[in-house]
Amino acid sequence: MTAANEAGRYGSGQTVRRIEDPALVAGRGQFTDDVVLPGQTWLAFHRSSMAHARMVAVDTSAAAAMPGVLAVYTGAELAAAGVKAIPNPAPFRRGDGSPQATPPRRALAHEFVRYVGEPVAAVVADNPGAARAAADAIWVEYDELPAVADAASAMRAGAPALCAEAPDNVAAEMRHGDAAVAAQGFARAVHTVSLEIVNQRLAPTPLEPRCVLAAFDSASQRLTVRLSSQMPTGVLHGLCDAIPGLQRSQVRVIVGDVGGGFGMKTGLYPEDIVVAYAARVLAQPVKWVAERVEEFTSAVHGRDVVSRAELALDAHGRVLALRVHSLANAGAYATATGVAIQLLIGPWVSTSVYDIGAIDMHYTAVLTNTAPTGAYRGAGRPEAIYITERLMDAAAREMKLDPAELRRRNLIRPEQMPYKNAMGQTYDCGRFEQILDQGLALADWAGFAARREAARARGRLRGRGIATFLEWTGGNVFEERVTVAVTPDGFIEIFSATQAMGQGIATSYAQLAVGVFGVPIERIRIVQGDTDRVQGFGSAGSRSLFTGGSAVQVASERTVARARELAGEALEVAPADLEYAAARFTVAGTDLGIGLFELAAKQREARIFIDSTSAVSGPSWPNGCHICEVEIDPATGAVEVVAYASVNDVGRIVSPAIVRGQLEGGAVQGIGQALCERMVYSSQNAQALSASLLDYALPRVDGFRAFRTEFDTSIPCTTNLLGVKGVGELGTIGATPAVVNAVIDALDSAGLGRDAERIQMPLTSERVWRALKRDFGPSPFA
Amino acid sequence: MPTPLRLTVNGRPIEIEVEPQTLLVELLRGPLALTGTHVGCDTAQCGACTVLVDGQAVKSCSMLALQAQGRAVTTVEGLARDGSLHPVQEAFIACHGLQCGFCTPGMMMTAVDLLTHQPQPSEAEIVHALEGNLCRCTGYVNIVAAVQQAAQAMATQAGSLS
Repeated sequence: MTAANEAGRYGSGQTVRRIEDPALVAGRGQFTDDVVLPGQTWLAFHRSSMAHARMVAVDTSAAAAMPGVLAVYTGAELAAAGVKAIPNPAPFRRGDGSPQATPPRRALAHEFVRYVGEPVAAVVADNPGAARAAADAIWVEYDELPAVADAASAMRAGAPALCAEAPDNVAAEMRHGDAAVAAQGFARAVHTVSLEIVNQRLAPTPLEPRCVLAAFDSASQRLTVRLSSQMPTGVLHGLCDAIPGLQRSQVRVIVGDVGGGFGMKTGLYPEDIVVAYAARVLAQPVKWVAERVEEFTSAVHGRDVVSRAELALDAHGRVLALRVHSLANAGAYATATGVAIQLLIGPWVSTSVYDIGAIDMHYTAVLTNTAPTGAYRGAGRPEAIYITERLMDAAAREMKLDPAELRRRNLIRPEQMPYKNAMGQTYDCGRFEQILDQGLALADWAGFAARREAARARGRLRGRGIATFLEWTGGNVFEERVTVAVTPDGFIEIFSATQAMGQGIATSYAQLAVGVFGVPIERIRIVQGDTDRVQGFGSAGSRSLFTGGSAVQVASERTVARARELAGEALEVAPADLEYAAARFTVAGTDLGIGLFELAAKQREARIFIDSTSAVSGPSWPNGCHICEVEIDPATGAVEVVAYASVNDVGRIVSPAIVRGQLEGGAVQGIGQALCERMVYSSQNAQALSASLLDYALPRVDGFRAFRTEFDTSIPCTTNLLGVKGVGELGTIGATPAVVNAVIDALDSAGLGRDAERIQMPLTSERVWRALKRDFGPSPFA
Repeated sequence: MPTPLRLTVNGRPIEIEVEPQTLLVELLRGPLALTGTHVGCDTAQCGACTVLVDGQAVKSCSMLALQAQGRAVTTVEGLARDGSLHPVQEAFIACHGLQCGFCTPGMMMTAVDLLTHQPQPSEAEIVHALEGNLCRCTGYVNIVAAVQQAAQAMATQAGSLS
């Protein structure tokens, strides 16, 4: 073998068979619930049936007496035992300057319940059926309180308050830009447009429900917690902060295969604390597997923002100012992440690929009697980009301009790079007009009129929507630690604290390592998910390849450099005289040499080991032009996506098939938000009405699949040595506005004009049918 | 009350006692330790638990273990033959038809049922067959492609055997 051959076949830029797949297709995956420990017990939760109530009494006597039951826990007992509420470092403030307000988010509710599905009590039993039955036998006496489910209602005078610190239910608020400067822009504008926009609540719904398996070893006094999580180290710290007397050195968090995360599995959950606590008290392994209804009611939701958004433009269509005032529904407990997503991360990209100097943004995070909102694929950027792209289309319609042309007039030009946007965020690179032009060509933008006419002849309304946009990736945690061990049996083991969850990151890392080591990909072993090995931020915000991959590259190069020194010693030559290729050092111009693995065997520890920490220098700004065409059946209002073309700048590409899979799979989630998904709470009593897969409409196989997806790899990211940009969220962010703009365009063509912009997601057949009859429902602020 | 149950799982005869309320998926994942069959919901919507019962795709969360009395059950662990992957497994890898892999066993079992009974399905027939299986990662693009590729591979295999 030669290094060049291996890199050519398996290295960066090649599509390879994923190293994750052989086990997964054989049923040999190791998802958390696949692990069974000797003496394992099962935990089940009793959850609140009320959206808001004072807890008068919790009677666990019947449950405790049931066969097989080992323990029953209530919120009062946990509080008495010193278990703390989930710590919530909150840098945000309320309008009056007081700190961010939220009720304490406890492991088990105590004194009050604040959303349907909140964990109230827990039962541990020697079999899962007994645990479930006993949990159902717990009786809670509630003093029901009025409940509120949406942000606008929660801010109204007289609305039920969730905590004393926020009588107005405002958890935190934040203003960005300069309202006076923006007002000047609106004052001298020739054209202005204003929209009310709903970004409905979504349930992230990874197919694998959460699962936690905790075991306490009395001899070592250590707690091992296995769970399905994107951030094992964060879980470790959270558990130790919550459970009294639990030291960080006493906890090991292990993550096996993760059946999808999408941001939902990033933080510590109350359930994690309860399972860990029970395992420690009982000194027996305890497992909890979430049922799907528990995921719908108690895992974090995404989005849920209502906005008034306005754009001011001059006579030529140049944007003078952007004004966005939004209410974000934080749910019953304002989490640090959930608030940051709406108050800060979304606004970072609000001006997107456009050169917009004046902004006036006011974001308010509001407490309601619903499950907490948090990270879901895109996390703030989909909401922000959706608003901006809807405004762009509204302005083009107002000015009777081609929406692509209006965008073109406002794009940031390559010579403006690096570009600091109105939020102070610096884009390192980007050629947005180049991406736009390719997108228009791929979608045959110019040929649309004929396709619309052909559809009309078939009795269907055809519409076209475009989104040109960028997003921010990296999670603002840029340092990563990686260890590399070259072992005598011919393997190179690379450990990273980033976390696989289906995104194929192990394969991408292995490809990078192949490029450095020049060995077949089978010789690379990627290991993740063990806080005893290496700790780190984990995987979120499309950061893994860009930060973790860069760290793997650096660590691999450092390993070869160290091995070169060792080979020099072994061969008694100067390291500089050695050539490295295909796992072998040779003395230049001779046949004298030593193999990398043979060299490892010679070491005192029988391995070559590198512990490497490195960092990238800033975020990445992937961007794209997504163009969708839809057809509407006017008799039913049913929307069909009929074409979807996208050109994407994700920098350099390590694994082409994986990147395409991220883009297109992500786009289907974005289409899901546009057309069918919505987490519904009753406006009367805040009951969760879409808490099963029967009620919550996920995209199915009969949806759109014929994506035309292209990549422009000529604009490498400058903040990392690989030149890559994050790709996990780009498709989701682009798809929602592209689809909705296409539907509105189709409705416009049916004679609705700018009234079509009043329709709100999800664009179900009912809503589209009603829109065709000028029925748009009430304002989201009504 | 524990009740005797005899069935074949992946070609292996099994004799075991189960509670009458035990679901087939609970038998498979629990006592039989065949954890490749997954549970993704509680309303028979997701299809992650799909197995073959006498060659027909069944959501094993919706069937009592005792209903498999005397029948032959095939799970994802039983697809490979003599160490070689089934063409459907092979195609899911080749087409990048899986990301997190949680829905994959159920998808593949449904596909095997389809291709057994309809060796050359149209795209519409594939879509119809997979309607009861949810995937949140792939957008189904490469899953349908994988089933198409598997159909071709199986046709070629069958041709070379005849």
